Amino acid sequence: MGTLAGTLMFAPYFILLLAFGIVPVVMAFFTALKPSLANPAGGFMNYLLVIQDFRFLPALTNVVTFLVIYVPLMIVVVALMSLLLDAIQSRWTVGLRAAYIVPASISGAVAILVWYFMLEPTYSPFAGLLESVGITEGSQIWNTGSLVWIFVLMAFFTGAGNWIIVQYGSLQSIPDDVLEAARIDGANAAQLALLIKLPMIKRYLIYMAILTFAAGLQIFVEPYLISSTVYPGLADNWSLNQLAYSFAFQSANLGASAALSLMLFVVCVIAALIAIFRTDFFEDVRSETRKTRRAARRAGIPAGSAL
Amino acid sequence: MTATRAIVAPSHTADSIKTPRSRAVNVRGLPGRLITWAALVVFAVFSVVPMIWLILAPSKTAAELTSQNPFSFGSFDQYAIAWNNLMLFQDGRLVTWIINSVWYTAAIVAISCATAMLAGYALAATPLPFRRTLLMTTLIAMVVPPVALVLPLFIEVTAIGLYDTPWAIILTSSFYPFGVFLAYIYFTSSIPKELYEAARIDGCGEFGIFWRVAFPLAKGLLGMLAFFSFTATWVNYFLPYVMVTSGDILPLPVGLGVLFSATPALNPGVGATILPIRQPEIALAGLIVAVPILIVFVASSRLLVRGVLAGSVKS
Repeated sequence: MGTLAGTLMFAPYFILLLAFGIVPVVMAFFTALKPSLANPAGGFMNYLLVIQDFRFLPALTNVVTFLVIYVPLMIVVVALMSLLLDAIQSRWTVGLRAAYIVPASISGAVAILVWYFMLEPTYSPFAGLLESVGITEGSQIWNTGSLVWIFVLMAFFTGAGNWIIVQYGSLQSIPDDVLEAARIDGANAAQLALLIKLPMIKRYLIYMAILTFAAGLQIFVEPYLISSTVYPGLADNWSLNQLAYSFAFQSANLGASAALSLMLFVVCVIAALIAIFRTDFFEDVRSETRKTRRAARRAGIPAGSAL
Repeated sequence: MTATRAIVAPSHTADSIKTPRSRAVNVRGLPGRLITWAALVVFAVFSVVPMIWLILAPSKTAAELTSQNPFSFGSFDQYAIAWNNLMLFQDGRLVTWIINSVWYTAAIVAISCATAMLAGYALAATPLPFRRTLLMTTLIAMVVPPVALVLPLFIEVTAIGLYDTPWAIILTSSFYPFGVFLAYIYFTSSIPKELYEAARIDGCGEFGIFWRVAFPLAKGLLGMLAFFSFTATWVNYFLPYVMVTSGDILPLPVGLGVLFSATPALNPGVGATILPIRQPEIALAGLIVAVPILIVFVASSRLLVRGVLAGSVKS
């Protein structure tokens, strides 16, 4: 009886999981084998065609450059800011944390809007800052060379705050005794932070790095909106997802679009598997299901309940 | 103490979360404290300035935006003027977009939280077949960014025939593996097994246990589920953009993109129009998208005090 009830409770989510998690992947796999104008034979040639497309390598370079700057920047700054927050005990830190999370409400289309104005010296509250580095016109910033830095800035601005809060939360779970013991041994605050606290939140930082990598790989909205509305043509097919979108909606080549989407998806799944099975972030979830199965087998009852 | 439990269910972990950390482990010495505070405050200022600008921008006219100090306040009337100008666009299309965003988000939050909570509970507390496989699948689905599936979903939705309907957005966005995971962690760690057993001894069926025992204790969980679901759904651009093409079904962020391309506010060369939609108007439109999230963040400051995942579960 319990099994039936459990299955019924799980069913609505399961339907969504099948319908919008698994089926699209399967469909994309088959769509990626379809023939198209460029590839009348169909089949795995579609993947080859995508890679050989003249826009693929630049887009890949852009995304890789973006990730190489963005992910380490996030790790370093988020770790630094959360450690700094943790090194000050004061009621003002609540206000600080509220401030850090404000930018998270500016994402996607709104981020384009806001950063257009922030980087335009005529409007920007940072005009003084911009002028001090010699920028007096927006066009000095909005050119193909600096695109990757602009997108890093946007992604960082929106994403850093949330992660600072999360890492600060994980720092709170470090027991006081460990820190006080180190204090007694003569550690100053910097040594506490770097040698004690940082290693203890390493797994959370790695988890954040993997998630940030996977999300950054899929960047689409910011370059697409800039290129289609604000500075037409500036960032056409800048990212891999934009290229997949162009395949689908400009060239009507669903096969190539599906192929490229699947390639990006597979990379993300590999990242997910690394996060789950090669870090110990989900250790308890994995070990618990293993434990209860073993315990259940020993007790001779059906293995299904966690309790 | 394992990672996920520590971050989600601190009721079992160090009391240091409930009691403030001892001051003895803080930065000592004036130079150290000054540098630390300076860094923290500078970062906070950079975080908040763009939002302050966005809030103040619609109070000025387009000319005042360039001539006056960026932090000056124009007048309250300008907000009304900017709003009326926005209403001129396609006969008040902005209101349609706002209504769309509101009801899509409400539907998505309702469906995703309900399904996630039930599924998480089923994984945690009932004898479910293939539990480990389902859990691993959910973990993978949770770590893979939703954006990865947008184009394959487009292919599927078109095949099903849901393309260009609100349901294309609502149903696809209701898949909430992260919520299932949060609920699973919550129901396995924050509710004592004894409670489940006691209910079973009293003759409760599985649904009864959920309804009478687990659900009333899961208010904090529901808050967290709704929080994450809402913040992800309200700002979503890529998925709705691809799923829907008719102007009157668009949610607000996509509508904002339409305003970018159809008005000269951001680029005078693009979007020739005689409508008076310029920088203050577009800033007001952006503000309408950003403000609900901002309010939700500020209102859930309890989450902030104890870290997003740690602590609030057992509030």
